[in-house]
Amino acid sequence: MTHEETPSADPAREQEAERAVPPASADPAASAPRASRRDFLKAGGMLSLSSLMGTAALMVQSDNARAAIEWAEHFQKNYRLMTPQEKAEARARLERRYSQEYGRKVNVDTTDAQPGVLMGYALNVRKCIGCRRCVHACVAENNQSRGSRPGEKIEWIQVLRMERGEFAKEKMNQGYPEGLGIQVGGNAYTPAGEVLEGQYRYEPAAVPEKDATYMPIACMQCEKPPCVKVCPVRTTYREPDGVVVIDYNWCIGCRMCMGACPYWARRFNVNNPVLPKEEINPVTHYLGNRPRMRGVVEKCHWCLQRTRHGRYPACVEVCPVGARKFGNLLDPESEVSLILARKNVFRLKAELNTFPKFFYFYD
Amino acid sequence: MRQLIHFAADYTGYVLRGGAKFYAWMGALSLLIAGMTYVFYLQNTEGLIVTGMTSQIHDGLYFANLVFLVGVAAGAVTIVFPAYAYHHEGMHKVAVLGEMLAITAVIMVTMFVFAHMGRPDRLWHMIPIIGIYNFPHSMLAWDVLVLTGYLILNFVCGFYYLWCKYTGKPINRKWFMPVVWIAIVWALSIHTVTAFLISTMPARPMWFHGMMPIRFITTAFAAGPALIILAFLIVRKNTRFWIEDSAIRLLTAIVTWCLGIALFLTMSEVVVELYARTEHANGLYYLMLGLHGLTRLVPWFWASVILMVGSFVLFLIPAFRNDMKLLPIPCVMAFAGIWIEKGMGLVVPGFIPTPIGEVTEYYPTFVEWLMTLGIWAFGFFILTILLKGAIGILQGEIKYGGQAAVAK
Amino acid sequence: MKKIAPFTIALAFLASALYAFSAAEKTADAAKQGAAPAQPAKAEATKEPLVCFESRKGASEITQREIKPGWPNVKCSPTTGAALWYGDPYEGTVPLGKMPGLEKIPEGHAVVRPRSEKLAILPMCAVACHNGVGPAFVPPALPKDKKPVPIPTMEGLLPALKDLQHGRGRIWCLDCHHTTKRNMLVDNYGDPVSFDQPQLLCGKCHGDKLRDWRDGIHGKRIGEFASTGRKRWFVCTECHNPHNVQDGARNRGFAQLQPEPPPQLPRGMKDARHELVHPIPH
Repeated sequence: MTHEETPSADPAREQEAERAVPPASADPAASAPRASRRDFLKAGGMLSLSSLMGTAALMVQSDNARAAIEWAEHFQKNYRLMTPQEKAEARARLERRYSQEYGRKVNVDTTDAQPGVLMGYALNVRKCIGCRRCVHACVAENNQSRGSRPGEKIEWIQVLRMERGEFAKEKMNQGYPEGLGIQVGGNAYTPAGEVLEGQYRYEPAAVPEKDATYMPIACMQCEKPPCVKVCPVRTTYREPDGVVVIDYNWCIGCRMCMGACPYWARRFNVNNPVLPKEEINPVTHYLGNRPRMRGVVEKCHWCLQRTRHGRYPACVEVCPVGARKFGNLLDPESEVSLILARKNVFRLKAELNTFPKFFYFYD
Repeated sequence: MRQLIHFAADYTGYVLRGGAKFYAWMGALSLLIAGMTYVFYLQNTEGLIVTGMTSQIHDGLYFANLVFLVGVAAGAVTIVFPAYAYHHEGMHKVAVLGEMLAITAVIMVTMFVFAHMGRPDRLWHMIPIIGIYNFPHSMLAWDVLVLTGYLILNFVCGFYYLWCKYTGKPINRKWFMPVVWIAIVWALSIHTVTAFLISTMPARPMWFHGMMPIRFITTAFAAGPALIILAFLIVRKNTRFWIEDSAIRLLTAIVTWCLGIALFLTMSEVVVELYARTEHANGLYYLMLGLHGLTRLVPWFWASVILMVGSFVLFLIPAFRNDMKLLPIPCVMAFAGIWIEKGMGLVVPGFIPTPIGEVTEYYPTFVEWLMTLGIWAFGFFILTILLKGAIGILQGEIKYGGQAAVAK
Repeated sequence: MKKIAPFTIALAFLASALYAFSAAEKTADAAKQGAAPAQPAKAEATKEPLVCFESRKGASEITQREIKPGWPNVKCSPTTGAALWYGDPYEGTVPLGKMPGLEKIPEGHAVVRPRSEKLAILPMCAVACHNGVGPAFVPPALPKDKKPVPIPTMEGLLPALKDLQHGRGRIWCLDCHHTTKRNMLVDNYGDPVSFDQPQLLCGKCHGDKLRDWRDGIHGKRIGEFASTGRKRWFVCTECHNPHNVQDGARNRGFAQLQPEPPPQLPRGMKDARHELVHPIPH
């Protein structure tokens, strides 16, 4: 499978209309020759204040263009049910709103799943050193909220640090259950390989630590996703290329999916995401990393804005140890297919029959 | 049609008039309701950041109250069922009051749903045809269906009964009785489905067991009637409407034994989970003893155990349960105990730890408490009106063609 | 590959002396790779360009620049200085070259960043001391026990050589470096190969790893994920330091590095100390 076009991340795509921002000036009169249409209409409106027309024009062109677009967004359909025409309209609407909000041309891609592609992911748990670079690459790519108040900072990948544990001679008399005198000796229990005793907020000076192993966890893009089943409005669903996506404009924020997910992959936007203008990634996908809104759920989507155009997800590209592998499961030559053919793989919580397309392996 | 207008006018006129005590009560509730309106506005402009809910613990007080109140709504069936199935005289007289309570509880549930949702403005997405209703896959879709159905059934049953009393026409049993029977079964369904809502998530081992529906129903049939007993005692004291002792006794018996079964089920769960002490018991362990040194819910749990066991013992003492002056004590205890056990004690530890083992705690904010209080106040507001209207009609104080009377 | 004109010899020699002096204080790793920040020739006094390291400190680095307005070639971590995001995955790459098993990949779709650019002492090798051609220079007889004669200049350049653990004493310099062409490595046939293609050398012993690397299972590739897509391949030495294999009791073969900051604490939580407590008594 080859792609003719360059990856979506190609800057050429967003080169066209960098919004003309008038140069800042201390003197308000200095900007007069460059008066925008809004200013013009405002002035016109002032002259004919009594005129209903003028007032109407003023309202339409007021600062509330955003509100008007949001109003239109309120009545759009679920993305899956939109006609191509409606998709184009929704896309144009969003691009206008985002471009205005973030002061630069934001592209909202609507590329569909590519035929012959079923995305899959594999992660070498033996390699992971717990540096969290994937976590922050994901944030740089996917326009998550990054405020400082609690709940405003969203990360989709969690890296779990697990103790290696040890069975030492000195602990021979400390066995479980301690203090009851039932069993003494020969049971120097320490939490080797205990997942639920892990740490998420480890902060050593350097990783990997000798006494720890690491396991990153994010959305598993299950083949049988419990989150999709429980969603009362089908805002979250699985795309033909295997990625479970969310139509952020359709989500009602009931959070059933968050409860149903056995991998804690989903995050809730407690407020309008804090996303500084200079940090936005302007290459977005409708079902992917476009800026979200207050009260909706989001999660990893394997960087649809990249992968739909053939590019690796952001986390794969920054992993300094090459533990993260991504590819087309239908292509027997792809990295992931070869890993499945050659390595020992396991799925996290396989007993829940969610059939993740995210595989852990070791070599 | 004229009758209907008269009914509405007489009903409204009757329920809105009252003594100083009535206005003081309603005024106090209105204050809380105003507060609730404000925090609801806050939640929908600032976002849920004003609440204590996080991505880790994303259901809190609201969901807890929701679950509890579905139980209260279902609990109304403890009046309706004996009244119609066993033709219990005392119960039959007050069956309509139970329906009023059910209506109130379902309305409160709806309000808690709104408070809980991230985007209540998009609720229309759930309406079939213009939106998408993920039925039958989504358990929440089932829940919405049964709750709406229950509200309608109770509204129809309750107000048709009152309407007949108002106009003096006989009840058309041909369709009324089947609807009553449907409503009785439906009452079980609402709480069962609410239990399924959270017990069908293998991601949350604390909830993932088949005992949940029966535990829900037993606690509901303890908390619901406990509240009804309290309401009856208040009604008896404050109105001329006399509720038979036999009705209250029967309700007491129901509360006692449902509470007993609930305690037994809780004990079974504790034994099963903590004997093996698998990782799946972490939630319960957090609730009972704390996990990783985090113990915020531990005092709540033990308080609920003391309240429930204590009230059960008190209910068993004849001197207590037969003394209408002392009866409110175990009733309040049982109600509060179950509110803790089934609300915060069940919902919050389901999220601790998260499915991937992160342990965090829930810190509800003032906004959440105010919202919760406000919704409860709203519930009491409606309940007062509905009970007052119903009692007025049952007493014959509102009657078609009669003079609009003023309640005491 | 760089061809060094003869007139640069003197300059290189001087630089090597300077470099050897400064390297003595650096870690073995940084010294071997030539620690980019120490390159005096490129020092720009006005504005320090943002340089971020890729796989490990001391190996490949990328200088941040804007490809298009608001579209950088790379984003770096403000905490650790690591490359966090690629706007252009192919920056500064050259074709990987032929390799068995890669026949299906179209020409130019497998690219690498040349390692030789980063190896600061490489230009001196094979021209300064080990030029192998000068009439005054006679290659010494190779020691049979594979124990090199300690040369202070060499050890000054590369402190890791004093305790070379790669192969645990069974291999020495000239098992990997070409006997006469010291700016080259050596492949299975003893022929010289470029420093940009260390896999041809490493794969001699680590064949399983070479195979996994060729198939994309081992190591790292960025760019297009399709098996025939255009990818930048990371070569062995961008992640592993062959002169120091014992670093930190192996640590899975990687040198330790500073992690990125942990996730935010949820509302109400004061700290994460509870994570250190084990819930099950033992």
